[in-house]
Amino acid sequence: MNDRVVITGLGSVSALGLNTDQFWSSVKEGRSGILPLTGFDNAGLKINLGAQVRAFDPTVHFFSKDVPLLDRYSQFALVACREAIDQAGLAAASLGGAAAVIGTGCGGKETDEATYDHLYRQQKTRAHPFTIPKGMPSAAASQVSMQLSIAGPVFTVSSACSSANHAIAQAALLIRAGVVDVAIAGGTDAPFTYGLLKAWEALRVVSSDNCRPFSADRSGLVLGEGAGMVVLESERHAKGRGASILVRLAGSGMSADAGHITDPSAEGAARAIQAALKDAGLNSQDVDYVNAHGTGTMANDRTETEALHRVFGSDVKSLMVSSTKSMHGHALGASGGLEFVATVLALCEGVIPPTINFTRPGEGCDLDYVPNTAREKDIHVAISNSFAFGGLNAVQVLQAV
Amino acid sequence: MAMDIETIVKTAIANQKMIDVDSIALETSLQDLGVTSLDAITIVYEVEEICDIEVPNDELESLRSVQDIVAGVHSLLNKKAGA
Repeated sequence: MNDRVVITGLGSVSALGLNTDQFWSSVKEGRSGILPLTGFDNAGLKINLGAQVRAFDPTVHFFSKDVPLLDRYSQFALVACREAIDQAGLAAASLGGAAAVIGTGCGGKETDEATYDHLYRQQKTRAHPFTIPKGMPSAAASQVSMQLSIAGPVFTVSSACSSANHAIAQAALLIRAGVVDVAIAGGTDAPFTYGLLKAWEALRVVSSDNCRPFSADRSGLVLGEGAGMVVLESERHAKGRGASILVRLAGSGMSADAGHITDPSAEGAARAIQAALKDAGLNSQDVDYVNAHGTGTMANDRTETEALHRVFGSDVKSLMVSSTKSMHGHALGASGGLEFVATVLALCEGVIPPTINFTRPGEGCDLDYVPNTAREKDIHVAISNSFAFGGLNAVQVLQAV
Repeated sequence: MAMDIETIVKTAIANQKMIDVDSIALETSLQDLGVTSLDAITIVYEVEEICDIEVPNDELESLRSVQDIVAGVHSLLNKKAGA
């Protein structure tokens, strides 16, 4: 059994850049990756904004023989995993027994939709043979395993917008159970496909002007894409090889609302936060910063604030709470991964990410949301929240080392 | 038409394996070209799309060389023409 799990590598691909340096400089500067949606001219979409990954050329990152079998969501996963493993300083030869737990909310939608278009719209009679191996929800996990020679437990976790946090929690549990010493985990999604955008449009939760979490004039979420991955290790393994430890993953908490398929529950969210703190052996007073789920929808931001009140009581006023989705958008299954990366760096560098586009507090949103400008402050404990559609909640507790 | 089918098949193999079409001869074995089962069904898919034929699953099993694919396509096209 390994009691302590640490983080030794970070990787990201997002609208804020193709690596974690670019991601973190944008977050610190409060720079938004949300721009007018591209690639869907004259498609009749009401969605007009997106935090899309720009200037991403697969041929720069992959052998041309591999590209045809890599859906965009697998490409993001691979680039982020490589970066995290490089930072951790783990040689390929040492990953044979490692785990990879890859979260995704959507899977290979680009591939699926291309085939559906072919069949339904173009009236073709046969599907491309790559449709399943390229588009299946576990394709990214398989590609990570194949390309990085990760040969231990490898699987996909899917819990909509909590996928990455659930994946990281599973990886941590594998380490704590002594099954593996090293794991790569996080989330990836590439949801900018016509059918999926139409489906999001139908939910009427997507903003057509901007993402303004916790703000009175918030008008919904803005979709994003990318991947956020981290290397987890048992502390013993990391210290044994002289690795540079970024933070400790002190605990994870999971809960389900067992309520409604889209309406969030403050009670369910609060139970996930409480479970995470209990797992970490920490009290609510120990927490300095909350990287919020903070989608910018009316329902989430009010409910998440209420959940924080329930858990932190009168201490809630001294908490710093911010939503980096205001910059990298809601990258669905990748969001928790990107937010985990931001939370690790907040602890390492003593810089609290801002909630940008904040004008004035929304009704029921009465906390310190670190509005618009990053704040320099040394912190010791931070939590990162993910609350998915369908009431699936996962929260991480990170502790400075 | 014979030359055309040969070209279609060789081009499909060349595209799938990312190799020069001129490096493929009729007698070349698919094994020597490193054609996996996923490659084989993808090559057959391309040929089916271009030639508008349907290759039955059991015929895939017997494909050993480039010539086997070309002959199989000929046979299916002849059957279609006779139908």
